[in-house]
Amino acid sequence: MIERVALHQTRLHTPGLGLDAKGVALGTRGLVLFPSLDRLVMMLAAYTHEQSLEGLMPSMAMNVVRSKLGAREVTLEIAAESSDRMDRVAETARLVGGLTFTGTSRHFVQYRDGAAPFGYDARELLSTDGALALYHDRFTQSYDIERRIDLRALLLRLCPRLDRTTTLEPGVRIVVAEQGLGPSLVHYLVRSRVEGEACVAEWPPESALSDAPVERWVVRIPELPARMVPLLSSTPGFTCFLPAGQGVAVEAGYRHPIELRACPVFDAAGLVLLRGRGDDPWIIERLPRMGPLTTFARVELRTTHGDGDADGAVAVRTLLPEALRVPLRIDPSSAPWRKVTASWVPLDQFPLLRRLAYALPHATVAGTRVATTARGIFLRAEMGIEAIPLGTFFVEVYPRLFLPAGYDVTPAVSPEVLLRALDVTASSLVFVGSDARAWSVDEQAFTGLETALVEAPAWEAAEARAIERTLVEATIDLRVAPIGLRPARGLEPTDT
Amino acid sequence: VTVESVADRLFTGVMAPLVLGGALTPSRAIGARAALALGATLPTDAELAARVEHARVRRARTLVPIDRLGPPTAAEWALAAALHDLAQSANPAFDAATLRRGAAARIAMLAGATIRRVAPPANLHEALSRHAWLARMLEIARTDTTVSWWSGSRVFLGVEPPARLLAWPELRRVSVSRARRPLLDLAPLVIDRSWLVDGIAEILARSPITDLATCARREPAFAWNETTLALLQRPAGRALAMRVLARLPPSDVDRALGRASRAAIAEHGGLGPTALALLADRAIADAHAGGHVQASAPPSFAAFPTATALATPPAKAEDEAALARALGAAAALRTLASPNVAFSDAERAGLRAALEPAAGQAVALLASLRNL
Repeated sequence: MIERVALHQTRLHTPGLGLDAKGVALGTRGLVLFPSLDRLVMMLAAYTHEQSLEGLMPSMAMNVVRSKLGAREVTLEIAAESSDRMDRVAETARLVGGLTFTGTSRHFVQYRDGAAPFGYDARELLSTDGALALYHDRFTQSYDIERRIDLRALLLRLCPRLDRTTTLEPGVRIVVAEQGLGPSLVHYLVRSRVEGEACVAEWPPESALSDAPVERWVVRIPELPARMVPLLSSTPGFTCFLPAGQGVAVEAGYRHPIELRACPVFDAAGLVLLRGRGDDPWIIERLPRMGPLTTFARVELRTTHGDGDADGAVAVRTLLPEALRVPLRIDPSSAPWRKVTASWVPLDQFPLLRRLAYALPHATVAGTRVATTARGIFLRAEMGIEAIPLGTFFVEVYPRLFLPAGYDVTPAVSPEVLLRALDVTASSLVFVGSDARAWSVDEQAFTGLETALVEAPAWEAAEARAIERTLVEATIDLRVAPIGLRPARGLEPTDT
Repeated sequence: VTVESVADRLFTGVMAPLVLGGALTPSRAIGARAALALGATLPTDAELAARVEHARVRRARTLVPIDRLGPPTAAEWALAAALHDLAQSANPAFDAATLRRGAAARIAMLAGATIRRVAPPANLHEALSRHAWLARMLEIARTDTTVSWWSGSRVFLGVEPPARLLAWPELRRVSVSRARRPLLDLAPLVIDRSWLVDGIAEILARSPITDLATCARREPAFAWNETTLALLQRPAGRALAMRVLARLPPSDVDRALGRASRAAIAEHGGLGPTALALLADRAIADAHAGGHVQASAPPSFAAFPTATALATPPAKAEDEAALARALGAAAALRTLASPNVAFSDAERAGLRAALEPAAGQAVALLASLRNL
């Protein structure tokens, strides 16, 4: 009952079917017919793998339709804005066994394929009261719509598939803790200096025998340390989720069959937590205000011994501290080395440094600064000075304060206090040696090792000359020579 | 003075610069007997001789694929010696020395006698070899320098001004101007200028390829002579001539050939078949390439109705060029009528259509010429 549309054909029989700019037969709507719901899900999964449904959503409608013979099938309707969009949909539908049609109101003809690059037209229309009349080269069938399928409901009904790799994916984690575990979890996170925010959400009672709502802690952690991932993923009472789109998250260890980021059906103000194992999703219609984890930290009050004690002991008078200065010591330390960014090279090792300069890579030479003093040469490199294996390494324990690597200062004062005690100018760097003697080097004295290394050789200017043009013929210049006293002497005529 | 020393002086001072460029310095005149006695002498400066040979081969290769030309022959030595003496006779020092003026005339006269003893080239190779020596003969020019300063000025003919006159240029307000004078425009001359022109013309007559290659020159004007016509008698010679002429502006060539043809018709009452064959070849080549034969305006042959009228000098140079093209077109039509021409019928018809507009107006003229 259908025929191929020919090139430059202008008249079509199917109502609502027209020709677009490319000459392809196209109605205002497109329709994909699937034999079952799982094919629709496959179609959505395949389509959202590369593209978003955002463009299709305003016009998308999914229905379960029933033929006159009672067979149930599934349709997906979209606005056929252009043949390009329809081509993409048709390709994906063909992949999952769907049939693509186009039309405007009730009559839908088969969309173009390899056999008919300009599409199809129905010569004879079905006389039917059905909601849909589909014309295909293999069948012509009318359908009635039985019920609509809501995309959000469909997505919520789909069970996430097992995929353990998601557990190790970096990024934000949403941890849902049962009521009794919430405070402990928060305290653990605060104690471990993990930042995040938390709230408590309520769900209806899970059982008819219970009338109290179920409360759970919802903790959002922007950066969960890797060591905590197994704990939060495997401990009963904790359920860890990974955000899978705006307003939706999927349990860690599972992956939703459809790319949820391509389906803007979830409210950003709420949160849908899709669980694995076939469990019902947890839906929070409106996420309550979340507070920083530190605000939920455990609070402890000290004990008081009577009235007025709560205010604490008040000093009767104040005195200047007694002079308690002790000599500074630099002692070996077992602490790991961090920020080894400077070194001191004695003057007697200067020739060795010069020889070493030939072996240094460019990145090291470019990133190193050097200051030459009477006490030796000081090298600094923000990326680490270990690339120059010479001299004594120094660790920058505080801005502008350097201690020998592997040593620590005793008494164990903070570096800030030590720097203040040394009382150096703001532009000076202080290197405290292993003998506790401190040297100050002005920051302006440091220059790039790159410029300090190069000893420019003597040079002479080479004047560029034009390449000699050998094929150019020089002009012939007649020069005049003296003719002598008797210019014609000895000249003889020819013999004859 | 030995023959070898004269040959070296001639080769270094004149022959090498004539090919390579640079300072061409004629010195003491050579004379007719010495010039003819140079024979097959070889230059002693082998390195310079090799450079000259390379330059000569390079020039010859613009016309034919040739790898070697060889050392100068006796005729080439003689022609070079004659050119040397002609250039020496134009030495301005003769003008200053009143008692030696007669020597210049004697030198020029002996140079002419030398040239007349040189036979025309016996074959194409010899003609090409002579051309490789003499191709730049008309480029010989003297640089005259005028030095002026705050209190006076002085002219130096063919010599560099002394450094003392150029010293302190700003303080003394020294101004130097240089002017190049071609050989035939040299002044002052002790000899009659026509001797110089005739001498050059005689040399050109002994080197037909050079004669054709410089046919657009102002003087000595190109004329059909026996040596040139002998070169054109064979198809190979005409092919060589066509290549030589193709390197010149077509309009200049047409003008020169038309002027020479006109002079030949006026003198002999007609134009030989050899010259007409060259003109016909040029017309066919132009028509085949879509050239100016059919593109140009028809020549004004109303001014040349008869041979008598042709004897008068043409009023315009364009008419001389048109005469050459008309003669060539008419001769080409006759050539195309021959069954031996290697053109297809279609090509022949196309060429005829291109040639007929130019030739049609020359039919009356050609019919009056005896040799056609």
